[in-house]
Amino acid sequence: MHKQNKFTVSHAPFWHDGDSIGETNKNIMVAALPAIVFGVFQFGMAALGVICLAISSAMAWEALFQFISKRSIQIGDYNAAVIGMLTGMMLPATVPWWVVIVGTLVSVVLGQQVFGGIGANPFNPAVIGIAVLSVSWGTYFDFDAALLSYEFDFTALAPLGALDHQGVAATELFSTQSLLMGNQVGAIGSVFGLGLIIGGLYLILRGYIRWEISVAYIAGIIITAALFQMSNPEAYAGPMFHLFTGYTLLAVFFLAPESSSSPVNLIPMLIYGIMGGVMTILIRNIGAYADGTLYAILIINLINPVIDMIRPKALGKGVNNA
Amino acid sequence: MPPRLILLLDEALDSTKETCIRKGDIAKKGEKLFLYKESTCYVTAPTSGTITSIAPFTGDFGENATYLVLEKDGKDEPADGISDFADVPDLAAADGALRTLPGAPPLELLAAPDSKINKIVISGMDSDLMSTTRQYLASKCMDDIKDGIERIKNMTGITDVFMAIPEKMSQLSAFQGMNTIKLTQDYIGTLPQMIMKNHMGIAPAAGTSCEDLGVCFMSIEAVLSLTRAYKEKAPVFDKIITVIGKDGGIKRVSAVIGTPIHRILTQLGLETREMDRIIIGGPLEGFSAYTLYHPVQPDMDTIILQDCEDIPGVSDYPCINCGKCVRICPAGVPVNLLVRYLEANLYQEAVDSFDLDACIDCGLCSYVCTARIPIFQYIRLGKHEQLMLEAEMETEAENA
Repeated sequence: MHKQNKFTVSHAPFWHDGDSIGETNKNIMVAALPAIVFGVFQFGMAALGVICLAISSAMAWEALFQFISKRSIQIGDYNAAVIGMLTGMMLPATVPWWVVIVGTLVSVVLGQQVFGGIGANPFNPAVIGIAVLSVSWGTYFDFDAALLSYEFDFTALAPLGALDHQGVAATELFSTQSLLMGNQVGAIGSVFGLGLIIGGLYLILRGYIRWEISVAYIAGIIITAALFQMSNPEAYAGPMFHLFTGYTLLAVFFLAPESSSSPVNLIPMLIYGIMGGVMTILIRNIGAYADGTLYAILIINLINPVIDMIRPKALGKGVNNA
Repeated sequence: MPPRLILLLDEALDSTKETCIRKGDIAKKGEKLFLYKESTCYVTAPTSGTITSIAPFTGDFGENATYLVLEKDGKDEPADGISDFADVPDLAAADGALRTLPGAPPLELLAAPDSKINKIVISGMDSDLMSTTRQYLASKCMDDIKDGIERIKNMTGITDVFMAIPEKMSQLSAFQGMNTIKLTQDYIGTLPQMIMKNHMGIAPAAGTSCEDLGVCFMSIEAVLSLTRAYKEKAPVFDKIITVIGKDGGIKRVSAVIGTPIHRILTQLGLETREMDRIIIGGPLEGFSAYTLYHPVQPDMDTIILQDCEDIPGVSDYPCINCGKCVRICPAGVPVNLLVRYLEANLYQEAVDSFDLDACIDCGLCSYVCTARIPIFQYIRLGKHEQLMLEAEMETEAENA
């Protein structure tokens, strides 16, 4: 037998659909672009600076932590970049640089790396980061105060803050259309409702997020807010107001469907999404915080492992599966 | 026919025992070759010649087999009693002579004294993607198929014989009067378990094979080979194979069982480079050969060449819980959880709580995995380890 080539020997399947973690993350970033670009137009170069700093510092934190913990450095999969980007999107444009860096440190390291890195985080890392920041340095998250130096040609009030302080009369200052078009004060990536919806639809159509979660989340928001409004229209704002203000749309399309902290089976996805919507409105209407989205997400992340045990019987397991 | 044939025997070479066949033995055409006196498995020599080498062969999971190299002498001398089986068309005689026909008829299974088989599905559709071997045969030789089905019914006494064919087939009318199962072209629908579930009303039970439930699947080529063998009163050895080149070009060839595949590739002008992949069987369920001397086997329907640059890599990323595998799994296995247990070698838990035994080996979870985890490999390994464990426990129980 003459000398022959060596061949690649591996296990089936020999084809792949071409998807990868890097590809998924790139698409998530593309989907977030409309909202970010609008935020930069709205809030100026400061917003761009916050987003860029958030992305780059998140990547640096990840690389540093992976180096220290002697893991392989996975900076090329854009995982940290997405976490940083989402963290940045939830910040106001005027936030000091060190808040951004501390935020991404918490997001990437405490939110994900300490649990074992990608895929092992029980909570959405970006939400952890922002939750810690908003508890520790709450003043920076008072969007009205933070954006005081700006002059807008629309009602320069954070809608949820206004609702909290002035009661339901404040909602009349904001029309649904202007909220959708981004005429509101808020975080860089959360004000442009239409952009977030376009990005979210893109992710859903490309299959990068699970549409059931987003749809259920929206349903949870609308149903709960409508019930509150019906019970007392004097005290509670309507569903559309809640849907297009605060972090709601960001949560619906980017935060709640984060893969490792959300369920994968149908019924759990629906419960998870609806719970998210319900909790958001409950915290906003009854709780102490103006925007309950962050805590709503942390709560549904918490119940994810339990509800995801509700799953269909496997093939041939109909009879005696305990 | 190539000058040198390689015959694979599904039995490990044991250096402590004396082999029946030795180097230098003369084999005649149609002669059954046994490795040891007490062996039950055999290969049939496709032509007469000299055995020039006997050596061990290692397959997946360290599975041991033996290969024999048969140097053709050109005389094509038939063995004595080569046509004995045709005198009495019964199952035992057929099993004794025709087990290695092209298409690998499951005669051993049917002839087993404790066989529970009561339905036979003849599959005229390739189970994996790309291959067209069976579809091609199903559209040809209609009379031979009918003849073969009658013979199988008579031999086995099983009247429930189904014919699985593509629903878009042009000669659909030719199958009138038969029990047909019309399959769509999607990959999942052609898997045996899915045919049972969707078309025969038999719910597969986790941890049991189709055979346990009384259904035997048989390729259409096996039926045709049987017909031809009885007509010619001698075993036949020509196997139809779909060969797919790197450019995706599909060619169909007929080759003698035992032909090393490099002969086929040379004939078709297909070249291989270092680090390419030679896929035997389909892209989702097949295996990769490590040598071009891999012989044509009775059940080898497809050979696919994959260029080294087209090979998708795997990664050592953990599961990121994206849920694509759960969505696509036809068996409803919680793959996202299962893979975590398999990665940690917790096979018993994987079976008990995460439905490892319900998996039907379709390979789609690995195909869609965003993290590019070799899930299917973990699953096969898990099943393999589980079988070993069970076997070990049984021997222990017997000894106790």
